[in-house]
Amino acid sequence: MDNRRQRDPVLQEKRGVLQSFFAFIKRLFVKEDKKLSVLEEEALQTPAKTVIKNFFRHKLGILGLLGFIAILTFSFLGSKLVPINLSLQETTLRNIRPGYNYLKYPTQLVQEGVKEISSGASFSVGLSQAGNVYVWGTVPTYLLEGFATSVLQVPEEVQKANIVKVSAGDRHILALDDRNQLYCWGLNNFEQATLPSKLQSKLASTPVAQIVGGELYSAVLFADGELFVWGGTMGNRLDIVPLHCQGRITKIAASSNNMALLLDDGTVEVTGIQTVVKQVPEQLQDGSVKVVDIVASYRNAMALDEQGQLYVWGDPEHGMLRIPAYQGQIKALAAGKSNLAVLLDNGQVVIWGDNHYKQLELPEKVQSQPVTQLYCTMFQNYAVHQDGSLSAWGNKGFIFGTDEQGRDLLTRVIHGGRISLTVGAIAVVISVVIALFFGMTAGFFGGMTDNILMRFTDFVMSIPFLPMAITLSAVVRGKVSEMNRIYMMMVIMGFLMWPGLARLVRAQILLEREKDFVLAARALGVRYHNIIVRHILPNIFNLVLVNITLAYAGSLLTEAGLSYLGFGVAPPTPSWGNILQNAQSLAVIEYYWWRWLIPGTFVVLAALCINLVGDALREAMDPRASEK
Amino acid sequence: MLRYIVRRIISLIPVVLLVTVMLFALFKVMPGDPVRMMLNPGLKAEHYQAAYEAMRLKLGLDKSYPEQYVRWITNTLQGELGWSTLENRPVKDAIKEPLKNTVILNIFVIVLELAIALPVGIKCAVKRGKLYDNFWQVFSMFTYAMPSFFVALTLIYTISIKLKLLPPGGMPLTIHGKGFSYYLSWLRYMALPVITLTIISLAGTIRYVRNAMIDALSQDYIRTARSKGLAEKVVIYSHAFRNALIPVSTIVIGAIFSLFAGSPITETAFAWRGIGHVLVKALNNRDFMLAIFMNLFLSMLSITANFVADITYALVDPRIKLE
Repeated sequence: MDNRRQRDPVLQEKRGVLQSFFAFIKRLFVKEDKKLSVLEEEALQTPAKTVIKNFFRHKLGILGLLGFIAILTFSFLGSKLVPINLSLQETTLRNIRPGYNYLKYPTQLVQEGVKEISSGASFSVGLSQAGNVYVWGTVPTYLLEGFATSVLQVPEEVQKANIVKVSAGDRHILALDDRNQLYCWGLNNFEQATLPSKLQSKLASTPVAQIVGGELYSAVLFADGELFVWGGTMGNRLDIVPLHCQGRITKIAASSNNMALLLDDGTVEVTGIQTVVKQVPEQLQDGSVKVVDIVASYRNAMALDEQGQLYVWGDPEHGMLRIPAYQGQIKALAAGKSNLAVLLDNGQVVIWGDNHYKQLELPEKVQSQPVTQLYCTMFQNYAVHQDGSLSAWGNKGFIFGTDEQGRDLLTRVIHGGRISLTVGAIAVVISVVIALFFGMTAGFFGGMTDNILMRFTDFVMSIPFLPMAITLSAVVRGKVSEMNRIYMMMVIMGFLMWPGLARLVRAQILLEREKDFVLAARALGVRYHNIIVRHILPNIFNLVLVNITLAYAGSLLTEAGLSYLGFGVAPPTPSWGNILQNAQSLAVIEYYWWRWLIPGTFVVLAALCINLVGDALREAMDPRASEK
Repeated sequence: MLRYIVRRIISLIPVVLLVTVMLFALFKVMPGDPVRMMLNPGLKAEHYQAAYEAMRLKLGLDKSYPEQYVRWITNTLQGELGWSTLENRPVKDAIKEPLKNTVILNIFVIVLELAIALPVGIKCAVKRGKLYDNFWQVFSMFTYAMPSFFVALTLIYTISIKLKLLPPGGMPLTIHGKGFSYYLSWLRYMALPVITLTIISLAGTIRYVRNAMIDALSQDYIRTARSKGLAEKVVIYSHAFRNALIPVSTIVIGAIFSLFAGSPITETAFAWRGIGHVLVKALNNRDFMLAIFMNLFLSMLSITANFVADITYALVDPRIKLE
């Protein structure tokens, strides 16, 4: 044994953390390298090195560590890369299941030539020159008989018919064939996909000029200038068309709450409830200019007159009213939900407005090659080039789906992770500091001090953890701000978690203080707090470290539980627990599974990884434990 | 022995005092005016002030805090626990039904848990390191990392929504029939919460039994028993298990007391009207009287449970020094 130690003591000595890690990687693929015997370890390594080496021998521990590092990176680096806007909500995109294929149009459509494209919340419908309908993207609703059919499932009669017009509502689709037949499918909760009998009889006699799918409603404009709106119009009263307009309408532009009507004399009328859009510029209404085209976004509308002059009105937010400088004649107008765009006769696309879903980031090809057709609806944008090829940009989808307010769940899970992991960690730090203070003081001094401190520990231990945590949280809920509530959470959890560890520390100290090295230190006249901190603490450090790890997993679960009940981190600040706060309702559990399954899985994974690390640490520090 | 018990009781006094003082403090800082809550809001303005003052005096709010504390304790001991605004009846009555529901739920949980954990824990200890043991280790690894609401949601999604086997939550109603079918409906409604609570607590109990059994199996008398040529079954059940029962008895005692302790998360997830769910509802509806009494009840319960567990431990294990 002696001569083996002499063989390469230097090499063994230098072997640090990194080497141990590489050795672990090597061991995964190559056969096990030689273990040091206990005596060699004693002679050559500090205890910390031994622990680290032992830890890296533990495969599950490594897995846990890597998993935990991945989750940390995901949450902390992720929240730096993906900023969150807490006030943002986009109800059009509510409750959409995970999907990242909103812009993945079928190649068949391009081969047959694009005639028209229209987008809904999470899908787009395309009409080819051959009269075929293609739908791509993600189904935006749950499917229930009578409530909704899948938008992606093009009905058989539509496949057979020769379609001439398509239009997508937010969650349903309208299609018109060459025999003046109208087809609707998708969400039908306000019967927006069911044809009213009055409309059907009119369809039999009058040709249709325009079909429009709106948010929860549908509209048909007949060639005789009559407009028919049905579906969910209770909120915006779009079904009330002014009498003086009826019969004179030549074109309509629809958004969620408004509809801009272009009349036969070239004036513009706006119906609906959004007042900013109803403030139409005077010259568009007094007949001084003749409007030829109109489009409408959520809170804005845009009109083009005969002279090629653009008029934009409505909400100035997102710079919607600031038309960028452009050169050339305007060929076509387009409007997404929070964007306006124009296509110039030289094939250039000018787009402005909100960029939250990257609607303004034109692909290289759109910037360099002339565009012949431009389709901007909702958050998806499509441009057809001269050679018939198609470019798409805008909202690609949501990998984790969206919640009830249309917020991206991925962003919320990332930022929620940051909050949950931080709250858990600080709660553990608070509890460990208290536990060490109580445990060490009580254990070392004994007697009356011990008695008093331990009675106090008993007191905290007898408090029922969860009930008291939610009671405290509810009592202070009204009195502190939302940010301070997060701090309150950490403090409440920290102050209720420590007794177990304090007892453990005390018991260990009772063992340690009888040992000879403490006697020696006392004999040397070392001061009490130095004996505790310098001599005893290092000996119980192992135990404390393992307990911290396991307590961290526990506090993550506690935070999630508290927030699930609504007593933890308050929305709109996300945390893994409060993301699934709404999952107390059965509808959410059944239809919107991604809203509880994904954040829940993250909690489980994080706690699992931390527990694995804790178990591996315990075995690394106390090899006898693994024999158990 | 008697001296030990007396000493233990004396050491309880400061704990009980601290708990009650803390709850009294909570009682004082809770939002809302307790006097106004007790008054009839339909009172005319001129009578209101007089009635307010009268009620203030009646509740003793003009006295000093220590006096109010003593009064509160006396009232509580006499069963005057205050008025629950959520249930609109005295707290004393409002707590009865949820307590009954929680106990019924927990009886099943405890029976199921012990029925699984005891044999599994013993077998794991005997087959330490084998496949059987490893399976349960992995099981506990996962269940340790699972928040109870996640287990609840997963069960609701798979068993009641997808497979449509059991109701997803709620309480059995009398319309579910009479006699046998009524009791059967209780079982159906209880099944998922019971499974959830069992899964959550199983891992810890199995680990506890396993460790107790491993300790017992590593004793010298086991080697003696084996070397005598006793059958392995006799060694395990007659020699080892009986000794492992000493630490196990503590968890049984704990389990008996935990009958009354509701679990806020699981009961809320399944809308089971037990102590935990009613506590959450009370807090959401600012019914702090009910909430604080529940906290008082649960802390007294855990103090008693710890006390009884300590005494039992000392009784069953003569090796414990009653210093």
